[in-house]
Amino acid sequence: MSRTLLVRLSAGVIALGCAWVAYTQAPAPQGKQQAKQPNNTISKVTDDLYAIIGDGGNSTVYVTNEGVILVDDKFEYDGQDIVDKVKSVTNQPIKYVLNTHLHGDHTGSNAMFLPTAEIIAHKNARDNMVKNKAPGVMRVVFTDETDIFLGGKEVRMKYYGRSHTNGDAVVYFPALKILASGDMGANNGPNVDFANGGSIKDWGKTLDEVLKLDFDTVIPGHGPVSKRQYLIDYRDVATKIPATVISMVRDGKGKDDIAKVFTANGGLFANPNVVNKVDQMMAELKN
Amino acid sequence: MTRTLLVFLALGGAWVAYTQNPQGKQAPATQTKAPAPFNLIKIADDLYDIDGGQAGNVAVYITNEGVIMVDDKFEQNFDEIMANVKKVTNQPVKYILSTHYHADHSGGNTRWASVAEIISTRNAHDGIVQKKQSNAPDGMVPARVTFTDETDIFLGGKEVRAKYYGRGHTNGDAFVYFPALKVVHTGDMFTSGTPLIDYPGGGSIVEWTKTLDAVMGGLDFDTVIPGHGPVSKKADLLAYRNRAADMRTRVQTLIRQGKNRDDVAKFMTAEYKWAPDSLNMQWSLPGMMTELR
Repeated sequence: MSRTLLVRLSAGVIALGCAWVAYTQAPAPQGKQQAKQPNNTISKVTDDLYAIIGDGGNSTVYVTNEGVILVDDKFEYDGQDIVDKVKSVTNQPIKYVLNTHLHGDHTGSNAMFLPTAEIIAHKNARDNMVKNKAPGVMRVVFTDETDIFLGGKEVRMKYYGRSHTNGDAVVYFPALKILASGDMGANNGPNVDFANGGSIKDWGKTLDEVLKLDFDTVIPGHGPVSKRQYLIDYRDVATKIPATVISMVRDGKGKDDIAKVFTANGGLFANPNVVNKVDQMMAELKN
Repeated sequence: MTRTLLVFLALGGAWVAYTQNPQGKQAPATQTKAPAPFNLIKIADDLYDIDGGQAGNVAVYITNEGVIMVDDKFEQNFDEIMANVKKVTNQPVKYILSTHYHADHSGGNTRWASVAEIISTRNAHDGIVQKKQSNAPDGMVPARVTFTDETDIFLGGKEVRAKYYGRGHTNGDAFVYFPALKVVHTGDMFTSGTPLIDYPGGGSIVEWTKTLDAVMGGLDFDTVIPGHGPVSKKADLLAYRNRAADMRTRVQTLIRQGKNRDDVAKFMTAEYKWAPDSLNMQWSLPGMMTELR
């Protein structure tokens, strides 16, 4: 056997060995790095309604004696944790998942729930998910209103117009006077997703309609469970933002001037999702 | 003696009323000894109509992720519907879209609710809950999921659209549209008979034609599956709409001439074959007298 061949053979064996090590070992550490640990807590709002707050958007859990209706399902890595948190309060299975809008921090576990639950969203939310090639696209959509009747209870999902996107629905629990607002009312906004049909021009008007519903408690898209006043204040901010942009543009002010005013106003106005989108708001409000 | 005779006559009358006054439209289908089997009619490779006389037409749309059905006839038709579906596909029935709340279209919900997701208009749901159909069987089951304007189902790469266009037969009639096939299931907004206006269920002969106009103006279709009767063309729906408008005009003329309910009833029997004890006379005539005054 020539030395060259021996070297080549050895190299081949080592290469194969490395490949084997890479094959068997690689997935594990990689997987560990990618799998984020869910960090959520479930808290009781009423005897039959809970909020799961932590990662991504807030989830709402409505328990009936024929199954659970869930609003929003956070990120993909939260799916099992949502199931576990629901199991900590009821043995009922999750039958319906209502998505307030398309974003992955509210629809991330759809793919997991799709085989066992009916997922429902506004038609525009689905269209946006298809356009964005998002996973977990639902089978059932509605345009104006859809109601779920389960275990003698009713949940009303309603579309009032554009705001965060062009497909945001609120979920109303009439018997409890509770509203899950999705990101139409969330402490990381008002954050207009212009690419998915959002509108700062319409946001306040849309909330005007939402506020015609009779509710005392709001589960926002992000942030702690709040009172009705939270959404009233939010509507006022969402109305004042475009009004400020329009009047300052009329006075010859530019994007930076407007951003400075928002920052100085503090609170929701100063949110980076507001301040950093002044130019896009100007573009929308030009028309 | 006289009293005994009266009681006897009254009992006899009650018996006649009981046996002749149908559990509604289903009576012939349930009481005939050997009802004719349903016809399974192919409309496209993936769309069938399960025809059935007194029981509403059932559309069967096949996808590779399951079947979407329109309506589910009477409760007692469950097995025969299932057998017909199995003749054309191994796929399970996943969704049922209800055209309206009547027992000959939604009666099967009692059996299908545990098998498939049933979706109807909100008003159709409420019609069942509030037992608005005078001759409905007990224990009807409403849909769990409802809509007010439109709902779309996406299954196996196919789309089905259920939409409410306004009042007519009831206040909650949905039209179910298959865009890829240009087919629409009208429910009882189009049948082989004359319009049956369910006024207690929110129906309206004035709105009926407007609703059909909105459908014909809003949807691109060639083929029509009526609530009862043979699969038809768009021109047939237009002709039906025009006959409905004509009937309304004739009745309105009589009412405005001062004819009373009995006069109009006789006219409807003579001209439109409305039998004196029919649902038309029970549900439609009193409402028309008011609406067309």
